[in-house]
Amino acid sequence: MIEKKPPFFVGYLGIPKALKGFLLKLSLLIFAGFIAGAVLAGATQDDPGQAGFRFDYGRQTVTGVLETTPYPLLYVTEGNERIKEGRTMMLSGQGKTPIMANLPKLEGKQVKVSGIILKRGELDMLQVAGGNRGIEDLSREGQIPSSEPLGRWELQGEICDGKCLAGAMNPGRGLAHKACANLCLLADIPPVFVSSNPVQGEEFLLVAGPDGGPFPRELYHYVGQFLELEANLERRGDLLVLIVDPDHIKAIK
Amino acid sequence: MSVKYIPVQWNNNKWKYNAVMLASVFAYLWIFIFVTPDLMSNEGRINGAVHNARAFGSCAFLMLSVILCIGPLARLDNRFLPLLYNRRHFGVMTAFVAITHASYIINWYFAFSPSNKYEALLFSNTSYGQLSGFPFEVFGIFALFCLVILAATSHDFWLKFLTPRIWKRIHYLIYAAYISVVAHVGLGILQDQQNHTFTVIFILAAIVVATLHVMAALHEKKHGDPLAAESGDWVKVCETTDMQEGYAKIAQLTAKERVAIFLHEGKLSAISNACAHQNGPLGEGKIIRCLVTCPWHGFQYDVTNGSSPAPFTEKVPTYNLKVEGNTILVDRHANEPGTYVEPVPLNIQGAAA
Repeated sequence: MIEKKPPFFVGYLGIPKALKGFLLKLSLLIFAGFIAGAVLAGATQDDPGQAGFRFDYGRQTVTGVLETTPYPLLYVTEGNERIKEGRTMMLSGQGKTPIMANLPKLEGKQVKVSGIILKRGELDMLQVAGGNRGIEDLSREGQIPSSEPLGRWELQGEICDGKCLAGAMNPGRGLAHKACANLCLLADIPPVFVSSNPVQGEEFLLVAGPDGGPFPRELYHYVGQFLELEANLERRGDLLVLIVDPDHIKAIK
Repeated sequence: MSVKYIPVQWNNNKWKYNAVMLASVFAYLWIFIFVTPDLMSNEGRINGAVHNARAFGSCAFLMLSVILCIGPLARLDNRFLPLLYNRRHFGVMTAFVAITHASYIINWYFAFSPSNKYEALLFSNTSYGQLSGFPFEVFGIFALFCLVILAATSHDFWLKFLTPRIWKRIHYLIYAAYISVVAHVGLGILQDQQNHTFTVIFILAAIVVATLHVMAALHEKKHGDPLAAESGDWVKVCETTDMQEGYAKIAQLTAKERVAIFLHEGKLSAISNACAHQNGPLGEGKIIRCLVTCPWHGFQYDVTNGSSPAPFTEKVPTYNLKVEGNTILVDRHANEPGTYVEPVPLNIQGAAA
């Protein structure tokens, strides 16, 4: 039986008449498909929430007492309009630049700190200007507030790097952001636990290792995952610190 | 076809093809990057670098999906063959879009650190022992390498230099790249999505690609070239009444060898079914101006000797054939490429003009 042959296309010759209509419709379909894809994929991205650098506040300069364990913290003694006296500010270097190297000698001393605020809701952090140049030693001893134990808590939530979470990157949390978060943590940026339920009225808790020091690298596998954990909680200044226990932490999603 | 290598042998159809594809890609990127931010009713604004990375990444995925649909669509319906004609240009575009996606990611997430950003990409997440939080970046790196290799070797120079067999095998990397992209997206951005629109688009695209391949395989199984009937050195291919002037009948001689028997001006000639260019199915082509013309890229051969017309140098093997009664038989032993074989007159009442 003789079959009817379809129109035959040769690239360097003209398009067969019988194919012209089909190819025109196909071209329009491809074009429309890409447009539809862009609208659907682009316009339905998740809301990263209101967060970011507050350059509109300008550079902030405050005085306080420096503590470096588990991460650089400033207990503000002389605040300003944006950063009130009595606040405990987490500090970070610029970008992912570590700032810890020269800080231990300033432990417990009065310092003047200058930088830009990052803010997401109740979470804020001060990005110190020009690395250590943003921290001026006032050569005065200060008083680090004593920590207040708040007992052992069972919590669910996510460990993030506090800086991206506070708005250095939007979005700045989740598994797709895990590598960036790990790189931030390696740069002395304070990790923050985002609790599913408020703890003592707070959603964001600074994370410390089991010895009260920095969050250990062997636990970085948990960063970005949804976790269930049991840990000791304490208050330092107005900041809650979660002392993670490696034996009581697990991913649940 | 060409006797020398030039960057691109442009013709009207290539311009039109590239215009449609480039317009689609530019429209996608422009809408995603500049229009969709105003369509979102989000409280916060996604960082520009992240937004752009997503635009280029999702576009590359869509382009790759389209590329992988072209092959099976052309097998299922010849009208899609024009999409195959310039697919390599679309592949090169895809590689550039994917490179741009990677650049945004590396220069955003892995920058601003004293560490080398390329090293940071590799060492910052080493959770290889877990699915949730797996360093999905490695799948993206692998896919990008594949796409760059494919783009870099896409020119006909490499086809000739590597031989079509090796070139085609290298270019099967496109499947590895696609699977890797699926893993990259599946273990990455999809893990964090609250709005699942992109997840649905992603899964649908992957299902369409997989389904079309299965359909093409089933179609090939059902309507594929028949296995030539065994009869010593001479194998039965088809009946004389099956032949149509200017077209061929294809028969499978072995698992890897197919013969295409053409009827041209009332006479039969047999050549290998595999085009010397990219192994395109010559038997699905047509005789134009006395020359067998490949349906993929239009390479041409003299049906009596399997040689491309001068000054071109491509050659394919020929086969001896004979007609017994109404049956066309072909000698299973191929002649050297370019060997002349006297065409065999066909009992004219059996063939369709």
